[in-house]
Amino acid sequence: MNNRLAGLLLFTAFAAGLTSCDRTQSTGWEFAPNMYNSVGYEAQTQIDPNAINPHGMNMRLPVEGTVARRNYHTTFKTGDSTEVHDLMMYNLTRNDVEASETLVNPVPLTEQTLAEGEVLYKRNCSHCHGATGGADGKVADIYNGVPSYTSDAVKNLPAGRIFFAITYGKGRMWPHAAQVNPEERWKIVHFVQKLQKGS
Amino acid sequence: MLHTITRKFLLLITIVFLSGQGVFAQEAAAGAGDAAAGETLFKNNCKQCHSPQDKIVVGPGLKGIEERRDFAWIKSWVQNPDKVIKGGDKYAVDLFNKFNKLSMTAFPAYGDKEIHDILAYIKKANEAPVAAAGAAAGGAAAGQDTGGGKFFNIILVSLLAIMVLVLVALLAVIRLLSTLSKTDESLTQELAEPKPSFGENLKTLFSNATVRSAIIWLFIILGTKATLDGLFSIGVHQGYAPAQPINFSHKLHAGDMEIDCGYCHTGVYKGKQAGIPSSSICMNCHNTIKRESPEIQKIYRAIETNTPVQWVRVHNLPDLAYFNHSQHTAVGGLDCENCHGDIKNMEVVQQRHSLTMGWCIDCHRQTDVNSKGNAYYDKLLSAHEQVSSKPMKVEDIGGLECAKCHY
Repeated sequence: MNNRLAGLLLFTAFAAGLTSCDRTQSTGWEFAPNMYNSVGYEAQTQIDPNAINPHGMNMRLPVEGTVARRNYHTTFKTGDSTEVHDLMMYNLTRNDVEASETLVNPVPLTEQTLAEGEVLYKRNCSHCHGATGGADGKVADIYNGVPSYTSDAVKNLPAGRIFFAITYGKGRMWPHAAQVNPEERWKIVHFVQKLQKGS
Repeated sequence: MLHTITRKFLLLITIVFLSGQGVFAQEAAAGAGDAAAGETLFKNNCKQCHSPQDKIVVGPGLKGIEERRDFAWIKSWVQNPDKVIKGGDKYAVDLFNKFNKLSMTAFPAYGDKEIHDILAYIKKANEAPVAAAGAAAGGAAAGQDTGGGKFFNIILVSLLAIMVLVLVALLAVIRLLSTLSKTDESLTQELAEPKPSFGENLKTLFSNATVRSAIIWLFIILGTKATLDGLFSIGVHQGYAPAQPINFSHKLHAGDMEIDCGYCHTGVYKGKQAGIPSSSICMNCHNTIKRESPEIQKIYRAIETNTPVQWVRVHNLPDLAYFNHSQHTAVGGLDCENCHGDIKNMEVVQQRHSLTMGWCIDCHRQTDVNSKGNAYYDKLLSAHEQVSSKPMKVEDIGGLECAKCHY
């Protein structure tokens, strides 16, 4: 009788042990971790500290002075077989505000590029500038200083100046070059220019 | 009597208020600028950075600007602030330094008329404290209205209390009546028999073999279920919601502030990994917003000491399975919530779905391929339509093949 009772208690304890871990703070038990954890370095996974890289991270910064190819000379075909080669990105520096105004949008304005620009605008700009460029995004209320695209100061800004603003920032707006590549920026410019006209 | 007095008093206030408004309107009309036109200009172009009162938004509040600066200065400043600053005007340079060395947007197209209009509006906006007081009184009245709701609650609670009291009284009456109706004999009998104690009751219960084995079987069945559940949860991280180094709230950012997921997780439409935002993306907003918060200060410290913030990864697939974000978001057109749950309402991110293979397969069986406007699928689609009349599922184009994900 006593043995049976002891066995029962042990069994209950085992079952409780399996279920009662704090599942919010721990991933629980793992089976065969050598199949779960990558042998090669994964950019967004860090199981053991990396002995070679700074901060023990697998991720590294790009070598200084290097430029991702797609940010420089990009060849992409448009619907009517025109080819675009140069996105005119590194012809500009932070101080070339005036020069930027002469830039021409290399991405042809088509229904498709405008639609893509709208999607990119909604993802990257609308929380401040608002869905229709009226500076009525939720973040604009607390960030302050966001102009409406139809206001007198910005409604006539040329395409290149808008591209420059996304790349290097403008006034209180910080640069967004790391988040949207030049091709995406030019598409956003198409959509912003539509909003400037108040439509 | 009292009523007539109050009414007269109110009438008097209204008259004073209305005539006051009239006086302001006349003044504005007599002044150099048109306040109404100025208001439109101000709201479209200045409001984002300036308050017409003395509150600092981005730049200084404009109350009393005409006392501080003369018209010529204001005009040259509005038309080209950079020129005034570079010209070495002391007031302008001090202003520039005071407001974080951020110069005002130039409005070169604004002439005397526009500036006079705006100044007239600023003056008018500061001369309207009576209207503001009226609005405040209105607000107070509205506050009393909501007080009515409180009153209603009190009535409800007191009614409930009365009902409970009535119930207690009724029960007492019933008990009294039943005691009275019992005969003396039954009463004495009841008192004579010794009541078995609680412990004795339990003992008799446990001496019964059926009860004993029933309890043991109950334990075994529940224990087996718990064991199996536990074994099946090995390697499944559902419910995992680790504490992060910074108390970042997705509910606030993605939910209340309506920031798109892709703004911070920049890779989600482009590559395999959605990516964790760098501190510089945080700084796009937090260079200004809530800078003093201890949580934001952690980001500042990370940047100053050049040490990355060590976020804890929540959703993690084993290395034996390949997963690509862009295939599901950009090509498949799926929302993030499909796999990550209701992120917009999570203070702390939690893995809501199991992310097991069965879960993946289920979705691949049920989901139609997002083939619209994607030439890649044209041939597959026509091939599928030859053999089936049903819409093309992920399963139909190899979504269940082992080597699709395991290689």
